Amino acid sequence: MIWKIARKEFLLNLMTFKFAVGTILCVILVVVFVPVLAKDYLQRLEEYNQNVTANEAELRKVMVYKNILPMVYRPPSVLSVFSEGIEKRLGTSAKISHFDVPEVSATTDEINPYMSMFPALDVSLVLRIVFSALALLVAYNVISGEREQGTLKLILSGSIPRHHILIGKFLAGLMILIVPVTIVFILALMLLLSFPMIELNAANWAGIGLMYIASLIFISAMYNLGLFFSSLMKQSSISLILGLFAWVIFVVVVPSGSIYLATQISPLESQEKLEAQRVMTIQECRSKELEASGKFPHWRGPKSDADGAFGTGYTVVCDESCLHDASKAYSLMQSIVSNYSNSIWRLELSYFDSLLKQKHLAGNIARISPVSVYENVMSILAQSDFGSFRSFMDNVKAYRDEITEYIRSKTDNFSSYSYFTICTEEDAKEYQKNIGPFLESFKSENEQDREKAADNFDRWKNGIMARHSPLSLQDFPRFSYRPGIAKSIKRAIPDLALLVLVNILLFSLSFVAFIRYDVRSD
Amino acid sequence: MIWHIVRKEIFENLLSLRFMLSLILIISLFAASSFIFVGKYKQQSQDYWEKTNKNLSDLSKNLGRLNDLAFFEQQILHKPKLLALCVEGYEKSFPNYVKFNIFTIGLPEVKASVNFTLPYFSDVNWVFIISLVLSFVAFVLTFDSICGEKEAGTLRMMLANNIPRYKVLLGKYCGAMLTLCIPLLVGLIVSLIIVITSNITGISGLEWLKILVVVILSLLYLSLFVFLGVFVSCRATCSANCMVVLLLMWVSLVILIPSLGRTASNMFSETPTRVELNRKLYETERQMWDNSDQFGKNAGNSYADANDPRMNLPARARLYNALTNAKNGIIEDHHNKMMAQALTGRNFTCLSPTAVYQRASEAVAGVGIGRCTDFYRQAKRYQMNLKEFIRSKDAEDPDSRHLIFDEDNSRGAFDWRTISKRPVDFSTVPKFDEQNLGLGHSLKLAIWDIVLLILFNLVFFAASFVSFLRYDVR
Repeated sequence: MIWKIARKEFLLNLMTFKFAVGTILCVILVVVFVPVLAKDYLQRLEEYNQNVTANEAELRKVMVYKNILPMVYRPPSVLSVFSEGIEKRLGTSAKISHFDVPEVSATTDEINPYMSMFPALDVSLVLRIVFSALALLVAYNVISGEREQGTLKLILSGSIPRHHILIGKFLAGLMILIVPVTIVFILALMLLLSFPMIELNAANWAGIGLMYIASLIFISAMYNLGLFFSSLMKQSSISLILGLFAWVIFVVVVPSGSIYLATQISPLESQEKLEAQRVMTIQECRSKELEASGKFPHWRGPKSDADGAFGTGYTVVCDESCLHDASKAYSLMQSIVSNYSNSIWRLELSYFDSLLKQKHLAGNIARISPVSVYENVMSILAQSDFGSFRSFMDNVKAYRDEITEYIRSKTDNFSSYSYFTICTEEDAKEYQKNIGPFLESFKSENEQDREKAADNFDRWKNGIMARHSPLSLQDFPRFSYRPGIAKSIKRAIPDLALLVLVNILLFSLSFVAFIRYDVRSD
Repeated sequence: MIWHIVRKEIFENLLSLRFMLSLILIISLFAASSFIFVGKYKQQSQDYWEKTNKNLSDLSKNLGRLNDLAFFEQQILHKPKLLALCVEGYEKSFPNYVKFNIFTIGLPEVKASVNFTLPYFSDVNWVFIISLVLSFVAFVLTFDSICGEKEAGTLRMMLANNIPRYKVLLGKYCGAMLTLCIPLLVGLIVSLIIVITSNITGISGLEWLKILVVVILSLLYLSLFVFLGVFVSCRATCSANCMVVLLLMWVSLVILIPSLGRTASNMFSETPTRVELNRKLYETERQMWDNSDQFGKNAGNSYADANDPRMNLPARARLYNALTNAKNGIIEDHHNKMMAQALTGRNFTCLSPTAVYQRASEAVAGVGIGRCTDFYRQAKRYQMNLKEFIRSKDAEDPDSRHLIFDEDNSRGAFDWRTISKRPVDFSTVPKFDEQNLGLGHSLKLAIWDIVLLILFNLVFFAASFVSFLRYDVR
């Protein structure tokens, strides 16, 4: 019998005006939005690929270990088409150096700050606003409307228990709402895959599948809300108005208000203070470095006299004393710097954590509204939330440690000459022999003599450079950031559970209300 | 007769559940927003005065020599505005701070501890409540105004009397508008009482006038939604369908179209990145250095001794001034491009009356993107004034060479005496003070939006009028 009621309701709703208008609106919106969003994704992907290639090319030019200062880039998430989250507002690159903290530019990367007046746009916006309204519109008259028409009396005069009717109505609502959700997802996927450059891997498919399920749970929650109001009120117009007010509060008031409240309740620590602390730590580090290197008077000898990779230079030749001093100074300084870089990293993390604390507070306040909960789930599943960025940062930090270890093992704890120069002991000896006459020649009045001496010296230096090829970095660790879907799912579970709970709660409320419902028409 | 209808409508509305719900929701929103505004305003004022006073005290420390004043880098900040109570205009994520000396002015920057992990959001203020919540209430009040009466059968009875149809329509409209005015005015009064009793600052006459204009704009905006509601109610066969259409219209007009701004901006125009800007600056500078001889012999040399016979200080000054001008031009151009890009999106969103209303109120209240432009312009004007001041002071000193140009060496590393080294009196130095626009000027900025709002009103009025005249009441 449940099934019969569900079928009847389903067929009745399928032909209504509201269903047609809502579905058509969604289809139009998806057709307009998805190509724009996909193009935007492709543009970011291309930028990412260019950056990665440029970085690889630089790595192939590295001559000394000191110059290994690669950049790592965060790949854009293809699912950001579905839910943009805050992905576009976070930094996409990080500079890795073994003597500094990873500089993750985690500020808004927006080129044009005036553009911040426009809200983000994605498929989940359509889903959460249009579909939640549609769910309420489908649900508002399922009980009270039937009472007004007098058909509810007729049904209940049969031998069907009330809960069968309610379950039938619920199933019908779910079935009817599955239709537009499925259409939107299929359409969005088709449009997305029509771009030959866009590929979806298994994790993406899993993410999309979960988003689909999350959307269904969300919509069923909104439907249950409408069902509850419908079985609470005697007139369908009143249940509609109650539903709509709840909707405005959930869609408009709560998302803005929660952030507003959170920024008031827990204000951010001023960034200036943090910057001052950071500067102080760096200064402390620099002075300690200076103190340590003071023991080696010749360490500043090796000037960078050739262009190396990543926009830095390296030493081709220098004399023996500075070769010895520098190798000891670098090794000593590295231990100081690595301590400080860790404490700066902790400072930076504490800043992120204070941001995160505010965000969590806002998120927790917003959990009053199922719309916000749903939005949250979607951005987690699309890997465009702050949690994903945080895991990127952790990966960057781990990568930096890996590189430091690599260089340490290759250069005998930063003390071998190959760390900062291609010069060998023999070259240094020869340098001392050559540099004397070269400097002497500058005292001569004759310009030709001077040029000749410079030419000779350069030729000799170029000879050394020609003997060396870039470092073979075949066993160099490569950065791989694969945001695992498993972790995202784990993060999304609490919110998904909350949505399910809202469903159960609202359904039981409507159950109680319907059991006590007075079916007499006026 | 028209009054009868209006009265009946108002009483009917007043007793309805939807009115009670909206009244409670709106008044609580107004009250909450004002309390939060008061706290925020205090915080912002404190911050503003701290930074401004620091800037002034730093300025006074640099008055020992006119030369130092010329090169002193001032830092100025947006002044917090009381009218942000009405509309905030996304200002918290906009650049609100600028650094300059008399030669160069940088791009405006964002100086606030903004949590970028939070989504952009609009503060809950008057315009937010009116444009999102009250517009919705307008639909809720009008969706069954015509077709609801038809369903109930009362419309037939009403029109059986000798009352012209347009009077019925106007009666319905006035009834809905007056009902809407109740939560609006009560909310506004509550909000103003909270702000006035909190004693944060007095409200000047001009500000009262501007508040009045914002209220009038709000009424215009709400009236448009009432007309639209009545129009759809005339076209729909049953009130449930009417609500469906209105709800979807509301979603499109109030939420979806304003969200399209970013897409439109990106589609129709783009801003060069910072990297491109820097490259352009660098190339221009290099080009001018390569052609430095056009400014005079030895203009581009690097001699440091002013008494060196090869030194040509006037030519050097010409070169550096040309460099400064070229760079300033590029930076200004970049800023204009950013503005233009944002405004493209803004103009596109003006398909929606919500965006038009927001833009008009921003212009009247003197906040938002228009204010950013104005602030930057004022800072530049102040920079020019300061430069003139320095020029005139410099002219009084016979020891000076009267060459005001931006080279690090002329800052005092060498004794070139290009700018006077006499001390300056603090009270005579012009100081920056951000001026609010007058009402006439604000209205001039908002005039097109006001016209658009009136036009929307007329169109929807005409549509509802025609539809109701042809309405089949059976």
